[in-house]
Amino acid sequence: MSKSINLTLKVWRQKGPGVKGRLETYHAGNISTDMSFLEMIDVINEQLTKDGKEPIAFDHDCREGICGTCGCVVNGRAHGPEAGTTLCQLHMRHFDDGDTVVVEPWRSRAFKVIKDLIVDRSAFDKLIQAGGFVSVNTGGAQDANAILIPAEVAEEAMDAAQCIGCGACVASCPNASAMLFVGAKVSQLALLPQGKPEAAKRVNTMVRTMDALGFGNCTNERECEAECPKEISITHIARMNREFLKAGLTAGEK
Amino acid sequence: MNWVTSTFGSSIGKKVLMAVTGLAFCGFLAAHLAGNLTIYGGKDAFNAYAEKLHALGPVLTAAELGLLLFALIHILTGLTLFYQNFKSRPVRYKVNKRAGGRTLGSGTMPYTGLLLLCFVVFHLLNFSFVDKTGTTIFAIVSKAFANPLYVLVYIFAMIVAAVHVSHGFWSAFQTIGASHPKYMPLVKGIGLVFSLIIGIGFGFLPIYISFIA
Amino acid sequence: MTLDAKIPGGPVAEKWDRHRFELKLVNPANKRKFTVIVVGSGLAGGSAAASLAELGYDVKCFCIQDSPRRAHSIAAQGGINAAKNYPNDGDSIWRLFYDTVKGGDFRAREANVYRLAQVSNNIIDQCVAQGIPFARDYGGLLANRSFGGAQVSRTFYARGQTGQQLLLGCYSALSRQIGLGKVAMFTRREMLELVVVNDRARGIITRNLINGDIESHAADAVVLATGGYGNVFFLSTNAMGSNVTAAYRAHKKGAFFGNPCFTQIHPTCIPVHGTYQSKLTLMSESLRNDGRVWVPKNPGDKRPPHQIPESERNYYLEEKYPSFGNLVPRDVASRNAKEQCDHGKGVGDTGLAVYLDFADAIKRDGHDVIAKKYGNLFQMYAKITADNPYETPMMIYPAVHYTMGGLWVDYNLMSTVDGLFVLGEANFSDHGANRLGASALMQGLADGYFVLPYTIGGYLAGITPAQVGTGHQAFKDATQATKERIHKLLTINGNRTVDDIHRELGLIMWDYCGMGRKDDGLKLARTKIQALREEFWENVNVPGSDKDLNQSLERAGRVADFLEFGELMVVDALHRRESCGGHFNEAFQTEENEALRDDANFCYVAAWQYQDTDKDPVLHKEPLNFENVELTQRSYK
Repeated sequence: MSKSINLTLKVWRQKGPGVKGRLETYHAGNISTDMSFLEMIDVINEQLTKDGKEPIAFDHDCREGICGTCGCVVNGRAHGPEAGTTLCQLHMRHFDDGDTVVVEPWRSRAFKVIKDLIVDRSAFDKLIQAGGFVSVNTGGAQDANAILIPAEVAEEAMDAAQCIGCGACVASCPNASAMLFVGAKVSQLALLPQGKPEAAKRVNTMVRTMDALGFGNCTNERECEAECPKEISITHIARMNREFLKAGLTAGEK
Repeated sequence: MNWVTSTFGSSIGKKVLMAVTGLAFCGFLAAHLAGNLTIYGGKDAFNAYAEKLHALGPVLTAAELGLLLFALIHILTGLTLFYQNFKSRPVRYKVNKRAGGRTLGSGTMPYTGLLLLCFVVFHLLNFSFVDKTGTTIFAIVSKAFANPLYVLVYIFAMIVAAVHVSHGFWSAFQTIGASHPKYMPLVKGIGLVFSLIIGIGFGFLPIYISFIA
Repeated sequence: MTLDAKIPGGPVAEKWDRHRFELKLVNPANKRKFTVIVVGSGLAGGSAAASLAELGYDVKCFCIQDSPRRAHSIAAQGGINAAKNYPNDGDSIWRLFYDTVKGGDFRAREANVYRLAQVSNNIIDQCVAQGIPFARDYGGLLANRSFGGAQVSRTFYARGQTGQQLLLGCYSALSRQIGLGKVAMFTRREMLELVVVNDRARGIITRNLINGDIESHAADAVVLATGGYGNVFFLSTNAMGSNVTAAYRAHKKGAFFGNPCFTQIHPTCIPVHGTYQSKLTLMSESLRNDGRVWVPKNPGDKRPPHQIPESERNYYLEEKYPSFGNLVPRDVASRNAKEQCDHGKGVGDTGLAVYLDFADAIKRDGHDVIAKKYGNLFQMYAKITADNPYETPMMIYPAVHYTMGGLWVDYNLMSTVDGLFVLGEANFSDHGANRLGASALMQGLADGYFVLPYTIGGYLAGITPAQVGTGHQAFKDATQATKERIHKLLTINGNRTVDDIHRELGLIMWDYCGMGRKDDGLKLARTKIQALREEFWENVNVPGSDKDLNQSLERAGRVADFLEFGELMVVDALHRRESCGGHFNEAFQTEENEALRDDANFCYVAAWQYQDTDKDPVLHKEPLNFENVELTQRSYK
């Protein structure tokens, strides 16, 4: 049943990249527990606008948990306290009346703050550009059923392919590592026959790019897996490690 | 040698170095503990074991050099990773909370590692680089553990070692990619049991020597 | 001006082959001299940008999101159609063609739809080659499921995330070209003007959403793949950022708008539950494969669903349409849900919902089978509503989902402005007056992968590359106009927020131009929109500056265009004196409350030409000729 709660919000406000920011306190009154977290921020923003202040800038788009645009650290947890949930799918019924809620942007050297809660995640795009694809031009494909893929393999590839690229793995990793993001893509394409011809090249270029972009190293803390809204398993990281070693030790002449 | 540096210089490569050397130390710990268990056989058994070990001569020296090399790799790579990971988040969160992945072991690896490094130096100074003429190893050990402070330091160090191994063991398997949903629970279980054996096995020795033997 | 759709001659099955042969080609060495701008990076834009770059064109791609992977195509759940006939159940290109024309209530162009059905098979091949993990049977072959409006299983799917997987496939192809330096990608850029020089599209003006810079980009052709305009209703299943601005700006520069009143109201969405609500969430149509739709037989029955015995339930779709049952097309399912609720049989707190019940399916197939098919949808439903659909029936209600209308294009996908191509949901499309499930993904990818790469060559082969640069006066004028508009928005300093006005517009559209339309309501809506537009320009409050990231300013610009565009929708709805597909004027219905078409007078595409904000748009008609499909009253009984 829906009810109303009152919250104290502490939100990171930062004018622009490289500018000093700080936590500002806001009162969120009469918040329906049926609201999503982002709808709660909408309500605050409407009030700020009416008061002649600048609303809180935050990234969001589909609001159904699939586009990967939204995401903040809420009380120290990426996408808030619920497992397997994006911020837009987090509902206020998971908060209690009188709670203080601290909202911070993703923190990582590779994700610079653009404004308030918005960060620059273009490093993820650069990772995919480095090799997160199968090199197939439009038009040259054979019949789709010519490639047999066991259902279990397709399912496991799908588990990895579900990644929405939100960045929660980096945000929650104590080392700000991107291993789950890269591992998911490498693993998906390493599992499928279509990805095998380029597997060695892909894992090499993607891991090198990841290192160059300033992400931290994986120390198997498993926070990424625990926070991933799509609950992608670190077994995909292990598969990437395997692929990387195989590529380093066996592929190519040098 | 380009592929060697590019493979082992990468983030995954460095982790593999940690994993392989770490697993080697697990092996060393197991052997070391097995040897030390001779203490329960009495003074003579323990001294005989030490003598046999030293009789190996060049083989022992080679093993010691190997351990030293592995230690250097493990320590230097570990410090590099620690530094890089520290730098990867220049602005920290105001509120930190675990999501359920992080454990006591995983969260403290660099610190437990550094403590263990200090302990190893201490340990070598106590028992390895001492004048052994005219005495037996058992005598040295008994003398050392007559001091309660030594006993406490050793017990604490062994708890630290157990915590370090509790994460290190399964983590090494994950890092080298030896992960399978069927076997990973077993690996994790073995890691936990192993860390307990190390902690209790080594940790009980000083107590046994100073109070019982 | 007469609208020439440039449909090639010959039998429908041979038109596309013949046209591809007749199209002029650009020499491979010359392709790099041509710059093509692609606005939008969803299924249509992303696939077009990647394919054009693969061919060798110099491509610039723009999106408003922070990454091309986030376009709203990603939210499509259920699947993508193709006439593969893998299940051996009688499918064929002809049948997909026929189903689509009929499903669209005979308001689509035959030649386009046939081509769509033809290339549907190539799309699946292409996507599988990219590594998209479609669902498979245990033998390793691709699996299929059924969707509304068809009696064959021709829908390919990747759990309930087919759109995501297809988009990520297309994003990976695009990323590859970006990495190779063949596509220059501009993220967080919003197109605010189309630049037309001597009646040809020559470039665009964009705003850099991070630092507010107004930028000029010149090209030899401009491709718009900017999606639909469902957000004119404020509440829709579209993403928050989905908007009509790029298309509407092009419309103001001479591109005709086709059938703007054709909007799709999707039957299976989570009902509205509060005034603060920002968007609606769709539950995939695939749920209707196993879910049974029902309401209590007695109006006002407020007992919880499990206390209502079988005998007092009305499975109205199964009773009314025995052969298609719960899988009738979307417009039919939506209208019937509204009808039940209008009769007071709606359930839930608001009375604006019907049940979608899985109890029988779970009893028949077991919990695990249902969980495997729809697990993520059930989870999503539970997260939003805090109800467990395994135990209690889902509550659903129709919501705005897709817009069949869009910029008018010819067979080459070129609009009435030379050199301006429009793809995907942004064009007036192949779906006629109603789109069948799993056909949007098919159309977006068909346009981008397999149609535009051929047809744009035919246009470019006839022009000299790089004739107009950003130094041209037209760019300066367009830049100036853009800056003035932004300045105006920021200096009104009124009392109402952008969202507040948008919400009011949405209510007007939903009440008068939604599922059931009436002449007097539409007329009233028109005056209300005009008044609201006036109020917007006098009383809106847009805080912040134009020199940095300002989400209020972004929204204000989009709502300003919706306020003009909404009126165009109403004008179109008023003029069409019939009901068809997504356009249901209550004055035109059969005795069984089905949409009643007037083929003698309205079998045409209404393409509207912009005059001025205060002048009525001019109607142009493209007659629709049906040579292969017989015009009949749609029946799903």
